[in-house]
Amino acid sequence: MILSHLRLMWTVFCLQLKQVAVNSFVIFLVIVQPLIVALLAIYMLRDTESFQAIYVIVGSAMGGLWTQTLFTSTYNVEFERQSGTLEEIVGSPTHLATVITGKTLANVTLALSSLLFSYPLATLAFGYRLTIAHPFLFAVSLLLTVLALISLGLVIAPLMSLKVGGSLWVNALEIPVYVLGGFLFPVALLPGWTTPISTGLPLARGIPSARMLVVGAPLAEVWPLLVGELAVGLAYALVGFAFFRWFEFQARRRGTLEAL
Amino acid sequence: MLIPTAGQARVLGYDIVQEADEIRPRIGFVFGGERGLYWRLSGYDNLVYFANLYHVLPDVRKRRIPYLLELVGLDGREDEKVEGYSRGMKQRLHIARALLHDPQVLFLDEPTLGLDPVGARASRLTIHNLLAEEKTILLTTHYMFEADALCQRIAVINRGKIVALDTPAGLKRYVQDLSVVEVEAFGISPEAVECIRALDSMDMVSVENRDQKQALRVHSSNGGATVAPVVSTLQAMGLRAGNVLVREPTLEDAYVRLVGGEA
Repeated sequence: MILSHLRLMWTVFCLQLKQVAVNSFVIFLVIVQPLIVALLAIYMLRDTESFQAIYVIVGSAMGGLWTQTLFTSTYNVEFERQSGTLEEIVGSPTHLATVITGKTLANVTLALSSLLFSYPLATLAFGYRLTIAHPFLFAVSLLLTVLALISLGLVIAPLMSLKVGGSLWVNALEIPVYVLGGFLFPVALLPGWTTPISTGLPLARGIPSARMLVVGAPLAEVWPLLVGELAVGLAYALVGFAFFRWFEFQARRRGTLEAL
Repeated sequence: MLIPTAGQARVLGYDIVQEADEIRPRIGFVFGGERGLYWRLSGYDNLVYFANLYHVLPDVRKRRIPYLLELVGLDGREDEKVEGYSRGMKQRLHIARALLHDPQVLFLDEPTLGLDPVGARASRLTIHNLLAEEKTILLTTHYMFEADALCQRIAVINRGKIVALDTPAGLKRYVQDLSVVEVEAFGISPEAVECIRALDSMDMVSVENRDQKQALRVHSSNGGATVAPVVSTLQAMGLRAGNVLVREPTLEDAYVRLVGGEA
């Protein structure tokens, strides 16, 4: 059965890539928006004492990831609803969350490609020298962050999708998490009362660990962040799958599986 | 699939609320209309995707998809994007999709809704071919001739209640005492209808608009003998009767009588 779910996720992943690769809005979210964010951040922060170019590069990539995860996990549910396929998925033996995870994975894979654009921007256009001290662990850290973000998306999507058209509310979440997640500057610079919120976000460990691995910080300082990221990701995944079950039941009860 | 607002429903003995997970792999469903497919993907990709949703094993899938494409008459068109399919082709792809996992029960919800006559005929032929698959098929439709042609048992539902459940022939017996007289005319007023309704042995009287003309339809137990008083009444009201047809009642006539309507 696990093999069957993985096969489905792979099929969904491939077919989703086929569909979104020609979607200009997704291309904008993946390539253009992270570039604009990186460019603005470099101009805003480069004269400050604490400025590190790597904060901007990793931060803008993570920003792209967050935007992709937030919007696509929720809009994927809404898309299925508008396409009339949501009732077919819910009527099948497959968990809706499995399908949405496969789709979101495809979207974040595209989002990761924003690194291919922001990295040359920093090195070629601005002359910053960027090397990764621990490339393998950096990749592991990135992967854990991606999976934790997808898990967070699984928590948000069913809540936002419960009501037809409710997905518009995800717009309100994008920018606050940009700030609270420490995308472009360390969360330590924020007021103390925001710390608990930042800690609950996957990015609170994902971004620092990625940056520490880039600059070659002692691994003993990085491991707790990676383990914490894994734990937070698993916790969000469990809650997300439970929320999706609840969403399916509520949508069947309310008759909101389709929207004309 | 929806949670009922009242009462209970079972499919193959399983409760649709408590045992939905048991039901899902055993049923297939087709909704009317063009939605429910991924338009940017090919017909084949759609079928692969839905086969995976139902955990159809790859080797089974490789045999099943070509078989179903042939069954619904889409073989040779499977690599085209669905957005280029006609409405009828999409509907037939829906039927193939619903059969991928070889379900015991198939639900067809108005499968010919909105199709042009050629597409509707092709879809009905596909549904007829499914009889060879020996499956239980529950078809909902407002087209009585379609129900008559495809169904072995018909339930007539009025205001959420089943008012009759029988074979097509059995349902027609509800109106076997009647004949139907149709008279073409122009400008039939409500007063004229009331006058005809007041004649002897009238069961139902209704008016249907047909292009520039109207057709007065009278259900009567007097058979052909009804024609003369009806035509006379129309003429007395200054209307000129055109073609007159006396025929046996159809399933639609039985339906109208059962739901108490005078459409």
